[in-house]
Amino acid sequence: MNEKSIVVENLTYKYGTLLAVDHIVFSVGRGEILGFLGPNGAGKTTTVKMLTGQLRPLAGRALLLGHDVVKETAIVKSQIGVCFEQTNLYEQMSALENLNLFAQLFGVNKFDGVDLLKRVGLTGREKDKVANYSKGMKQRLMVARSLVNTPQIIFMDEPTAGLDPVSSEAIDNLILEERQRGATIFLTTHDMWEADKLCDRVAFMNQGKIVALDTPRNLKQRYGKRNLIVELMGKDGRLEKQEIGMDLPSTPGVVGALFQEKKVVTVHSEEATLEDIFIQVTGRRLVE
Amino acid sequence: MNTRNIRALMRKDIALFINNRFYMLLTVIGLVCYIGLYFVLPSNVDENLSLAMYAPEMPPVFNQLTSQPGTAVQIFSSETGLKQSILDGNYQAGVVLPSDIMEIWNHGGIPVITVYYNSGAPPEVTTAIVALVKELSYAQTGQVLQFDTTGEVLGNDLLGAQIPLRDRMRPLLVVFILLMETLSVASLIAVEIEQGTARAILTTPLKVSDLFLAKGILGVGLAFGQGILFMALVGGFNHLPLLMLTTLLIGSFMVVGIGFFLASVTRDVMSVTGWGTLVLVLLAIPGIGMIIPGLISGWAKLIPSYYLTDAVSRIANYGAGWRDAITNLGILTGFSIIMFWAGMVILRRRYL
Repeated sequence: MNEKSIVVENLTYKYGTLLAVDHIVFSVGRGEILGFLGPNGAGKTTTVKMLTGQLRPLAGRALLLGHDVVKETAIVKSQIGVCFEQTNLYEQMSALENLNLFAQLFGVNKFDGVDLLKRVGLTGREKDKVANYSKGMKQRLMVARSLVNTPQIIFMDEPTAGLDPVSSEAIDNLILEERQRGATIFLTTHDMWEADKLCDRVAFMNQGKIVALDTPRNLKQRYGKRNLIVELMGKDGRLEKQEIGMDLPSTPGVVGALFQEKKVVTVHSEEATLEDIFIQVTGRRLVE
Repeated sequence: MNTRNIRALMRKDIALFINNRFYMLLTVIGLVCYIGLYFVLPSNVDENLSLAMYAPEMPPVFNQLTSQPGTAVQIFSSETGLKQSILDGNYQAGVVLPSDIMEIWNHGGIPVITVYYNSGAPPEVTTAIVALVKELSYAQTGQVLQFDTTGEVLGNDLLGAQIPLRDRMRPLLVVFILLMETLSVASLIAVEIEQGTARAILTTPLKVSDLFLAKGILGVGLAFGQGILFMALVGGFNHLPLLMLTTLLIGSFMVVGIGFFLASVTRDVMSVTGWGTLVLVLLAIPGIGMIIPGLISGWAKLIPSYYLTDAVSRIANYGAGWRDAITNLGILTGFSIIMFWAGMVILRRRYL
């Protein structure tokens, strides 16, 4: 992951007087999945729009695969795939027609839409009008569309939002397959569990700034506290819960004493979640 | 300009246009109805003489005019009222008798009768009126009395070139056909923006200018094709076909330019339909004015479609040439460029 797919330097954008993205700096390695987490209005979508050439930055610059997004927009666009949160397919066309159109716009000569639809589990529905698809099917088609040009960088905005577990898992697997292929994934999400599960690193964005950026494990170690939750049988037959810090010098003694002196029913380790860490870092929740 | 991308977008839009039953039906039914309407309208001119008359002192026998076969005469109480009514197209001609006509005749003089003609009145009207007045004066006095006439044409002088109603409607119908594409193009753009597909296709190497070009070419092609079909079926290319084709092409640019502008200032397909209908009614006014002389006056020249309707009418119905139509075509071209430019700038700033 030494080779950088995305390099962002002081990227800035304003809507009127509102500073939506405030001089952010980060980079993403080749084949890395970066989770971009933050509440609504944090500046995530504006950042993605600038990185995908939809918005011109007010200041700073972004290099994708070594190409400046502003100066070499066409080259950059030919090597990226974008999966939007809101479904924006041609609903009166079939899935295959949708993919073929994008293949033509990307200039892909040998394109096998049927195979791509098979990868997202839409075999047998290739020629159906998209308007007749379920939400999950449409979302899978959106993901398929973002892969038409076999992109080196894939931007995915909430790709599993509101989907059933089967569709979510299908998309998660596809993301991992693309990472395996060597693609860089820029995953914007509210879902901390998804980010924790899929991402090599996560960035927390709040009020236009990146306030933390690291692997989920490092963030948990840095900001979280590890606890043991012990359930004990009380004298009156009721369960009592006790929280013991795992990283204290006294922990082994305290745990041993509990096992000797009381009846221990269950013992669980408890880690801080990304949500907990986000709250700790920003004072806000991811979903407000 | 990437022709491959433009072709791909046009193929997609044609497929969507054909699959959109509303617009497809509107286009086909509109075209069939307008062509049908042309052929059911009368192809000949009315040979009855509709006459207005004013005389401060009406000779008694002139009252017989109202019962003359083939003649519809209305007596007016003022010369001004008579002139306005002729100008409005209610009468082919109007006769104004001098107040002292009987006294002049009694003294063996020759009175001067003023005749006002509607611009579309046939040349036979003059002869018919002279014959009619001679006959009545003979009936009044028992001898052939002499009189002179002085004539004035009200409105554009089209004497001798009377046009059947259906040919007078031809400019209106072809403008209607072209105008339908204003709504189609505006809707095609509005749908792309409303459904977010414009944003999606612009994450590919497609340029915004290519997107506009694809929409523009398709819109102009659809309008121009329908305009040609209509004019070919109704004999609109009998005189200077190249000039007529140029006029239709510029007219197609105009309606598509208006479509771009309409899409840029509205929010969605619903508002395109609402505002678009209002715009179509406004743009249709000059065409309606062509079939009802006197309905519109100078203010109609503020409506850009006036220059299209006027050019089509003059070329198809009155044998106008390049020199006659060039001003109209210039104004239309200028207006179309402004509409395209404004539409594209606003669309880019608002959405893309």
